[in-house]
Amino acid sequence: MSQGANPGHATGGRPPFLGHGVGLRRDHFERVLSGPSRIDWFEAISENFMVAGGRPLDVLTRVRERYPIVLHGVSMSIGSTDPLDEGYLDRLRELARRFDPAWVSDHLCWTSIGGHHAHDLLPLPYTEEALAGVVARVARVQERLGRPIALENVSSYVAYRRSAMPEWEFLGEVARRSGCGILLDVNNIYVSARNHGFDPSAYLQGVPVDSVWQFHLAGHSDKGAYLLDTHDHPVADPVWDLYREAVRRFGAVSTLIEWDDRIPAFERLEAESERARALHEETLRAARKEAV
Amino acid sequence: MSAGAADLRRTQELFWTLITAPEGVRAAVEDLTRRGALAGGAIDAIFAGDARLPAAERLDVYANMYFYRLLECLGEDFPRVQAAVGGDRFHNLVTDYLLAHPSEQPSLRFLGRRLPRFLEAHALAREFPYLPDLARLDWARVEVFDAPDAVPLTRRALARLPEDRAGEARFTLIPAFELLPLEFDVVPIWRRLQEERPRENAGARPDDAVETSACASSTDSRSPEAAEPAGATEPLGPRSAPRRRTAVRVWRSGFVVYHRNISEEEARCLEMVRAGEGLARICQQIAAGRSVARATERVGRILQGWIDDGILADVALAGREAARKTPTGA
Repeated sequence: MSQGANPGHATGGRPPFLGHGVGLRRDHFERVLSGPSRIDWFEAISENFMVAGGRPLDVLTRVRERYPIVLHGVSMSIGSTDPLDEGYLDRLRELARRFDPAWVSDHLCWTSIGGHHAHDLLPLPYTEEALAGVVARVARVQERLGRPIALENVSSYVAYRRSAMPEWEFLGEVARRSGCGILLDVNNIYVSARNHGFDPSAYLQGVPVDSVWQFHLAGHSDKGAYLLDTHDHPVADPVWDLYREAVRRFGAVSTLIEWDDRIPAFERLEAESERARALHEETLRAARKEAV
Repeated sequence: MSAGAADLRRTQELFWTLITAPEGVRAAVEDLTRRGALAGGAIDAIFAGDARLPAAERLDVYANMYFYRLLECLGEDFPRVQAAVGGDRFHNLVTDYLLAHPSEQPSLRFLGRRLPRFLEAHALAREFPYLPDLARLDWARVEVFDAPDAVPLTRRALARLPEDRAGEARFTLIPAFELLPLEFDVVPIWRRLQEERPRENAGARPDDAVETSACASSTDSRSPEAAEPAGATEPLGPRSAPRRRTAVRVWRSGFVVYHRNISEEEARCLEMVRAGEGLARICQQIAAGRSVARATERVGRILQGWIDDGILADVALAGREAARKTPTGA
């Protein structure tokens, strides 16, 4: 495993560098538990393990015995105007207590309104009012969980006329004001940049360096008029380029490959993760050389 | 709530209304405008679009993702219902169901819990009268899949009961257990539909054991295309089935979910166990005025089946604990 200190950065509140991981998916349960892998850590979808018993919890228990894990949620709905779901937070806290994840993350978006859940990551308008609301809710969640959380930028397909700041500024402000970390999804930056016509490099430059705890990489689909974040392809070349740029800016950041549909053999996923590792190491080496 | 927060709430409510509208975003906008609930041009004033992709089409991306993700989830949780009615009818059923019962839980795991009851009053139940029962069986398997774990009671633990007090024995069932009283004999239909879907993994027992799994949240996103279930759209289920009361027990052993048709006698025994009745009382009830010795023998055989299948968690004598399961479950 390539765990270690976070070279090249003042670590500040950053959690440890875990190396290169992949999302833990049902299709790979047997393979992950059957022997060694080239994967350093796994990310588990929190909601899938908020159950009383059975195979999923057993698998996660055994995976946790061998690997560091991160709990990654999809339903916290941090940007909703509904009250926070206290029952959900209780279950998340219990899950975190049981599995001792390196950190807990969710998305900078809203997923529920009027007590109903969309099970989709819906975008926020980037306004001062929305910012104040999210910051207050992050503070409440962090207090409830007894730990800071990381929030991920989502892919989006529509924006709001009244947004008063770019997404990266909103994300950076949420982190700065609440003390939360940032899970920077490099593919989502690329997808949203194409869909809304902004410069993805400007996004990277606008995010505060020390707040970034983790990167996500995934594949997307080109639908012609827009890109769709499908997680059913290998990482696209322009996203690898953007990842290289992100590593140059943010340094050694734990990186995770997501692949959720048309899931390939575990070995294919390992190869994708190895590609990220090679690129990450090569970029850091080059950055060190430049610094000398 | 501040004016800004109230404004955000209205926007989120509108977003929800638009992406959950069954006819799509444009139809929903027209409907809201016609009813005076939305000013003309409001969508383009709130949401940013361009010539390449207007705002309504951008919202439609979300509408498609919403529906197809939930359709896929319900297809995973009700695979036999989906196979019975075929893809098109299942699609329409899910459309109707989501309008009546949008998701109320952060986890997709619970999305389908009202579907069996919903089907009772749905038009599909006229075409496929056994469908609510088939849905009950599919859903019971989901419930059992991730119910709490328990170490099953062993024969050895049972043998430790003092023989002269065996009649006082009261059993506890494992949590991963459901008893379904049904109006139709859906187990053979379920099995036939299972055979039509050979890619699913059959469990160790030939007749009724099939590995199952509850619907899990995918991570960040899925495309409508990827989420759209492949497979036959033709209905594979029979259009009629004789109405015949049956009882099915559904349970989990290890991590494999099983179900089995059981006799009316066994169903009564299970109900009495759940009501906390002792073994002697169960035997008397089963005898129903006839030979208690023969009833005891029959109950003994039923009990043997429960031990073999691992559906008993514990046994205690009236008034005090006894003969608990061995710690190893050996």
